[in-house]
Amino acid sequence: MLANLAKKMFSKSLWVYHCNSGACNGCDIEILNVLTPYYDVERFGIKLVSSPRHADVMLISGAVTRATLPLVKRVYQAMPAPKLVFGIGSCTIGGNMWFDCYNVCGGAEKAVPVNYFVPGCPPRPEAIIYGVALALGLVDKKAAPIELKQMEFPIDIYERNKAWEERNVIYKLLDD
Amino acid sequence: MPRIEEVTQQLSNKFKDGITGIDQPGATQFFADIKKEKVKDICNEIIKMGGRYLVSIGYDNIARDQTLGMIHTFAFDRDNIFCGIRTSVPEQNPVMDSITPDIPNAGWSEREYIDHLGMKFSGHPKPKRLILSDDWPEGLYPLRKSVPWNIQPPSAEGVAYQLDECPEGCTVVPVGPYHPTLHEPAHFALYVDGETIKGCDYRGFMVHRGIEKLCQTQLTYNEIPFVAERICGICGSVHATSYAQSVETAGNIKISRRAEYIRTIMLEIERVHSHLLWLGVAGHLIGFNTVFMHSWRVREPVMWLGERMTGNRKTYGMIVVGGVRRDITPEIKQDILNVMKKIEEELIVIKNAIVGDTSIHKRTKNVGRITKEDAIKWSLVGPVARARGVDIDVRRDHPYAAYDDMQFSVPVVDTCDVWGTVLVRVLETFESIHIIRQALDKMPDDGPILTELAEPIAPFKHAIAGVEAPRGEVVHYIITGEENRPERWRVRAPTYPNLQGVPLMLLNNELADAPIIIGSIDPCFSCTERVQVVDIRSGGVKVLSKAELEAFAKKK
Repeated sequence: MLANLAKKMFSKSLWVYHCNSGACNGCDIEILNVLTPYYDVERFGIKLVSSPRHADVMLISGAVTRATLPLVKRVYQAMPAPKLVFGIGSCTIGGNMWFDCYNVCGGAEKAVPVNYFVPGCPPRPEAIIYGVALALGLVDKKAAPIELKQMEFPIDIYERNKAWEERNVIYKLLDD
Repeated sequence: MPRIEEVTQQLSNKFKDGITGIDQPGATQFFADIKKEKVKDICNEIIKMGGRYLVSIGYDNIARDQTLGMIHTFAFDRDNIFCGIRTSVPEQNPVMDSITPDIPNAGWSEREYIDHLGMKFSGHPKPKRLILSDDWPEGLYPLRKSVPWNIQPPSAEGVAYQLDECPEGCTVVPVGPYHPTLHEPAHFALYVDGETIKGCDYRGFMVHRGIEKLCQTQLTYNEIPFVAERICGICGSVHATSYAQSVETAGNIKISRRAEYIRTIMLEIERVHSHLLWLGVAGHLIGFNTVFMHSWRVREPVMWLGERMTGNRKTYGMIVVGGVRRDITPEIKQDILNVMKKIEEELIVIKNAIVGDTSIHKRTKNVGRITKEDAIKWSLVGPVARARGVDIDVRRDHPYAAYDDMQFSVPVVDTCDVWGTVLVRVLETFESIHIIRQALDKMPDDGPILTELAEPIAPFKHAIAGVEAPRGEVVHYIITGEENRPERWRVRAPTYPNLQGVPLMLLNNELADAPIIIGSIDPCFSCTERVQVVDIRSGGVKVLSKAELEAFAKKK
C-alpha cells in the first residue's frame, strides 16, 4: 500500500533533505556523491534541499544519539505532509554496533517513523538511488530489471534464505 | 647523546623531586611520572623547550590505587620524540591545576574529563559541560569503570546548554544544529555587530557515540580496528592505522616491511580522496558549484579503485594489529598506477582553473586570518597550520609505516588565510600521488602481510602513536589491559585542536564568510566527537570615520 501511495503522492520531482543524526560521515559523503556527475540524481528530478520545510523526503543517516534525538524529531515535524523517511546505512537499522552505548538511543526508528531502509556500511551510491527510486516506483520507467517490479524492498531476505537452504540440500545430497 | 636523553635529563635536573620516575620504552617516546603539584610548571617547561601540546588523557585507576590518572602528552617535532607527563589525583578529592591558561588547546581535554571522570581543574577558564548531552544527570561519570557501557539514564525535559553571554551591542546568529552549511549536527552561536563577527560560542559533540568506552569494555584488540574505521567515514584507515601502531608499539610487535608499504599506499589513497572531497565542499560553500562537481567527478575513480582493492568503497577494513588483511597483486598495482595517472592529469586542469579564478581569490584571500604565533599557541595541526607557515607534518617528523623511505616535500605557505589552506591541500594531493608511485616502486616483492602475535600483549604498557590524516594529525594513546583489550584508548582527531582555533579565525570577519572559514579546517565532528569552545574578544580600536559609517549603516 505504501508503494502505491508513494507512487501517487511523489510521482513528480522529489526534494530530499539530508539529516545526520550521529553518523560517521561515511553515509553522508555517499549521499552527496549521488548528486555528482557520475550518478547525477537530478536527472530523476531528485534534488537535495537545505531546509526541511522544502522537503518531501528525509534521508536520515547514523544512529540517533542522545543529543540529536529531540532535534531529529523537530526536523521531522518541520517537514510538510505527506512525507517519507529513508534510513541510509546500517546504523539507522537498530543502531548497528553502538546500539546500546551510553550516549546512543538506538536506530532511526527511535526518533522518527522510517518507511524504507537502505543497508550498507556505507551503502553504495547505486544502492541509495536504487532504494529511493524503487520505493517511489521510478525504476519502472528507467532503471530496474522487469523481474523486480513487484518487490517492495531491494533485497527480499526471506526469499533469498529459502533459496540458500534449497541449494544446500542439493549439496548435501551430492555429498552422500 | 641522543636528544631524548637530553630532554629527560634536563627535566629531571630542573624538577628534582617533582619527577618520581621516568620510563623510556623506546627511542622515540618517554613517560615521566610527576607529582600533581608540579604539573603546571613541568608542562610550561616542556613548551619552552620546544614541545607541542597534543592531548590529555584521563583514566580510571580506582581499582588499583584509588586514584584518577591524568596524562598530558607533547611532541618534539624536530627530534621525533613523543612524551607523556603522567600524574594522578585521589578519587576522594580529584582536583588538579589546569594547564589551560597557558596552553589554551588543553581546554577541551580538561573539560572532557570534568564530564567523563568527575575530575576538577582549578583555574580552568570555562569549566562547562562539553561532551555529554544536556540532560545527562550530574554525578554519573561514564568513563569510570564502575559505570557500565550501556547505562541509559532517563531523559529530562527543559534542560538546555547556557550559551555564553552575548557581548554588548551584538546580535546572536545561530548556525545549526541542522544547517545547510554543516553536514553534521553542531551548533555555532555567532555574535555579530552589523556584518562583523565579534565572537562565537560552539556547542557540538552531538555525534558522541561512546566508542572509547565500548572498546574498553566489550571488544578485543583485533576487533577494534574495524570500529576505529567507523570513527570517521572519510579518514577511516588513518584511525585504524594509528590504533594498530599504538598497540604494536606497546606490545613490541614488529610488522613486515611489505605490510608497512601497503599501509602507506592505503593512507595516501585516502588522502587523495579526502582532499578532492574537501576541495569540492569548499567550492560548494563559496557558491561555486562547478568546482564541487568537477572535483567529485575526478575523485570518483579513487572510490572505485578502493572497491577493487578492498571490497568496499570506503571503510576499507584493511588494517589490523600486526599488518594488513589484503595484498596488493601486480594487477592491482597496475590499476593504481593507471588511476593515479588519470587523476594527476585532471587535477592539473582543476588546479590551473582554481589558481586563475578571481572569484575564488576574492572569497578566500584575507579571510580567516590568524598569525603564525597564534597558530602555534593554539597547537593547530595539518593543512590549517601549514597554511599559517607552521612547518609540521607527522609523516616527516615522526616517520611511521614506510614514510622513512619516501621522498616528498611538505608544502607550507604563509598567506595565513583560507586561500593558503586551499593551496596546501591541492599541492599535497600531487605529493600523495608521488608517494603512491614511489611506494609501489620500492615495495618488497614478497613477504608476509600479517605477522602472527607470538605471545599475549603485556598489560599496563603505555604508547602514543601519531598519523598524518588528511585533516591533520591523529593521535592515539593506549594503555594496554588484561582480558585481551585495552585498559584505556584515547583518540584525538585533528578537528579537535583545529576547531578550538575557529573562534579566533572567525573574529572580525564578515558573517558571509563564516561557512568557508568553518569549512576551511575540514571539520569532521564525528571524529572529534566532543563539544565546544567559547572565546569572546572585544573588537579592536576602530578608525572613527569607519565607526560613524557603520553606525549610520546600522541605523538605516
